[in-house]
Amino acid sequence: MKPLFQFFSSLKLTVVLLSFSLILIFFGTLDQVQYGIWHTQELYFESFLVVWTFPEHAPLGQHLHWIRIPMPGGYLLGGMLLINLLAAHFTRFKMSWMKCGIFLIHSGLILLLISELMTDILAVESQMPVDEGGTSNYSQGFRENELVFIDRSHPEHDSVHTIPASLLKPGKRIDVPNTPLSIRTVRYHGNAEIGRATSGSPAESIATRGAAVRMGIIVNPKPETYSEDEINTATAFVEVLKGEDSLGIWLVCNVMDERFPPQMVDTGDRSFEIALRFTRHYYPFEIELIDFKHEKYPGTEVPFNFSSEVKVTHQDSTKNQKALIYMNHPLRYEGLTFFQASFANQDKTSIFQVVRNPGWLLPYLSVLLMGLGMCVQFGMHFFKFLRKQRG
Amino acid sequence: MKKIIYILVYGIATLVILGGLRSSKVDSDFDLAAFAELPVQVGGRIKPLDSVARNTLLILSGRQKVVTDEGLTLSPIEWFIDLTMRPEVADTYPIFKIEFPDDLGLVGLAEQGERYYSFNELLPFSEELRRLHGEINPAPELRSPYEKQIADINNGLMRYHRVMHSLHPVGGAERLDRLVDEYQSYLATIQPGMVELRKQQAGEEFDAALLKRFITFADDYLKLSTTAYLRVVPPPPPVDLLEDWKNIGLELLDVMKDDPLSPYVTSYASLTMAYRSGDAEQFNREVRELRERFIADFPDDISRVHYERVFNGLQPFYISMQLYVLIFLAVCISWLRWPKELAKAAFWVLVLAFLIHTFGLLSRMYIQGRPPVTNLYSSAVFVGWGAVLLGIFIEKFFKNGIGAAMASLVGFCTLIIAHHLAMTGDTLEMMRAVLDSNFWLATHVVIITFGYSAIFLAGALAILFVLLGVFSSRFNKDTARSLSAMVYGIICFGTLFSLVGTILGGIWADQSWGRFWGWDPKENGALMIVIMGAIYLHARWGGICKDRGLMALAIWGNIITAWSWFGTNMLPVGLHSYGRMDSAYAWLIGFVLVQLVLTATALLPWRFWRSEFGQANNRKEKKRSLIAAEDSEA
Repeated sequence: MKPLFQFFSSLKLTVVLLSFSLILIFFGTLDQVQYGIWHTQELYFESFLVVWTFPEHAPLGQHLHWIRIPMPGGYLLGGMLLINLLAAHFTRFKMSWMKCGIFLIHSGLILLLISELMTDILAVESQMPVDEGGTSNYSQGFRENELVFIDRSHPEHDSVHTIPASLLKPGKRIDVPNTPLSIRTVRYHGNAEIGRATSGSPAESIATRGAAVRMGIIVNPKPETYSEDEINTATAFVEVLKGEDSLGIWLVCNVMDERFPPQMVDTGDRSFEIALRFTRHYYPFEIELIDFKHEKYPGTEVPFNFSSEVKVTHQDSTKNQKALIYMNHPLRYEGLTFFQASFANQDKTSIFQVVRNPGWLLPYLSVLLMGLGMCVQFGMHFFKFLRKQRG
Repeated sequence: MKKIIYILVYGIATLVILGGLRSSKVDSDFDLAAFAELPVQVGGRIKPLDSVARNTLLILSGRQKVVTDEGLTLSPIEWFIDLTMRPEVADTYPIFKIEFPDDLGLVGLAEQGERYYSFNELLPFSEELRRLHGEINPAPELRSPYEKQIADINNGLMRYHRVMHSLHPVGGAERLDRLVDEYQSYLATIQPGMVELRKQQAGEEFDAALLKRFITFADDYLKLSTTAYLRVVPPPPPVDLLEDWKNIGLELLDVMKDDPLSPYVTSYASLTMAYRSGDAEQFNREVRELRERFIADFPDDISRVHYERVFNGLQPFYISMQLYVLIFLAVCISWLRWPKELAKAAFWVLVLAFLIHTFGLLSRMYIQGRPPVTNLYSSAVFVGWGAVLLGIFIEKFFKNGIGAAMASLVGFCTLIIAHHLAMTGDTLEMMRAVLDSNFWLATHVVIITFGYSAIFLAGALAILFVLLGVFSSRFNKDTARSLSAMVYGIICFGTLFSLVGTILGGIWADQSWGRFWGWDPKENGALMIVIMGAIYLHARWGGICKDRGLMALAIWGNIITAWSWFGTNMLPVGLHSYGRMDSAYAWLIGFVLVQLVLTATALLPWRFWRSEFGQANNRKEKKRSLIAAEDSEA
């Protein structure tokens, strides 16, 4: 037991782990060129093991493409560092004034590692476009999708029944909550090319109902893209069942949005609109965009300021408020943060980044601890050095 | 002897400074200093014509002077005034720098075998150059050096042409000598011309000659409005600082909309006529008038514009660069002879160079109204400044010249880098909206950059340790110990700053994107510096590495910092793309290779170390292994 404890608490292990982190971060930066930031993050920093491959398109890529370097991933290194740190504190460290700087730095570090893990697991990012003069009560993810059944029969509101796209595994049967319906996924493509069948090629489609049949839509699966300025066209063939009776197979796809005529599923007494769309997050409040400003430096196209004047109307009217959202000045409201992210539509539409991150305060705390710790630690070293110089 | 040493070192330093100041003076009857201060709106701010002249010349020639075929040296503003007012003369000045004229395959051009070409020399090849330009890769980042050279020449010719047309329409001598008359006859033509135009459109009878004259003017000024490069016409008062200024062509066109013609336009015309006829008195009067009008319209900006012109002329970074060389040499000599006197003199010159460097930094902050680091250029200036500051502290404590030598080395290298980064144009550009936060620029960016300074200085000290240790027989235990302490102290400092800066960056990101950490390349680079510092510190505290290993780690800090500073900007991804570049790639690789060789040198077994310190360690090691061998035998 003791040698094991010694191994996990040793400074040698710290140095080795830190060196591996250095390597991991370096390759995790390089690979962003081919995989984009999101996918690289999953591959390198939210994993236990990763293998780097020499990129084909780099100089000498054709000759060196066989090179592969395996390395421990972010979770493994982060976890090991955490264990190493805790073990070291339990075995080697005696609390003393001389050590309090190091202790502060290390507790800040532990907090930082925990907050990163929390962010990875809990944070949700989405976007909310709002037109000038318009309102919105939901934001939309840009990578995850959901299958929805919308009942529009109620005059005042619609009821939306959703199934996350991650559950759409071929062959699996899922009940649609609060409806008599259930679905069975026939096929699911993370990305695909959608087009209309030309006269030459016979439309070979497994869809039996809806737009796919009416318009002769065909689907060609494509590898998923990781580029930040492209979206994945998620596509599914879904069989809808009522009890044990099949109502048919529909093609749904996240680019067939409001601009297309809705696809309807009729159960006899009720009818539902079926669609696959980017995951929406609904809120108990509405954001109204009063004015969007986009200013440029005189005589140039360089942006100088973006700002959105908004009014928030909550179901609970005591929480209503007005706000100006601009660069580096987000609106924090109801556990969410609204950032000025982008704009569209000749400066008539403002796009907000909406982030829910319960751990957002932790890094601030950790900064305080680490900064303070470093000042104490190095301050003590410095004064000791000064005394030695004088003496 | 002592006194002579001091006098010698301080004397050279004074000469360097005076030399720098003298080169900014221009002898002429024309008040070129006042002309150089006339305002122009470029890149979102008002600056003096002098800055435009310098930046344009830097882009075309890679230097801030023109040497004519007769051997005369012209200052940027002298060149600029000839370019705009006596283009027939300016066309003979060799200002287009072509590094490899042979590669272009232009028969006749390469035969001249020169590096600088005049517009007239390039003119016969313009057709061919345009054809070559049409064939090169349209994506700038994928171009080969050959293609880049062609693109540079073509863009340079275009810029030359457009800057030339900035103050008034350009034509032959008969046009330039009569600009004021031209404007007057244009103004007189507008009213009747419009009437005739309306008549023609209504199908009535009209004066064809008059209409033709009017339309010729309009066509010409329309072309001018797309060609003229500089916005030299401020809006009429009352002045809104955020309003766009117009170029000459646009202003002349807008007169048709019943706007009065701006007096700036006619003033420039009179200036040109006075300059061409050699009438200095008239020229100076016109310049004074223009300047007073600007002061009246922009009372808050004149002092800044004036200061910028003076600052341009002083070139403080150039002076401090030369002083850093002097210091380095002085310290190197001090290790052979007169150690005390030379080291002391070097220290005070270092303080002086630092003050001049600081003056440059503060001047830029005043002109731009921003914290010191806003782009790659200013980061280079700041890295050097930070390293010199730390070097002064080291020198103060250790007094052996080492701190001064290495600080001046880092200062010199970073200023050279800055000098090359300045070739792309204005280094005082405006900030994109997301970066537009003085608070974060002043904290996060400055602290991170100061971290670079520290790590580079530590790396330079470690290199010195290795080189002296391996090659110099005089390197003893005491020097080794003090160098080792310096590296340690500076790395502590660098780690602290990098860590705090990185985390502040995270907070900024959280404020502007809602993401504390996004694994963006630049963020990762900063984190790598922090981890490198942590590795060094833990390896030292844990006794895992001894002298050689620690020095190797410190030299690795150079690689990591260079990657973080420049390497990450070369990747075509990320949120920090404000400083993108492609040409420094080869330099970065070269730098890394040199550092790797130095690391390998650091790890050489003790028996290869020629120094007293290395030999002592070698003996110790031998003894240890002998004892171990005896133990195992016994």
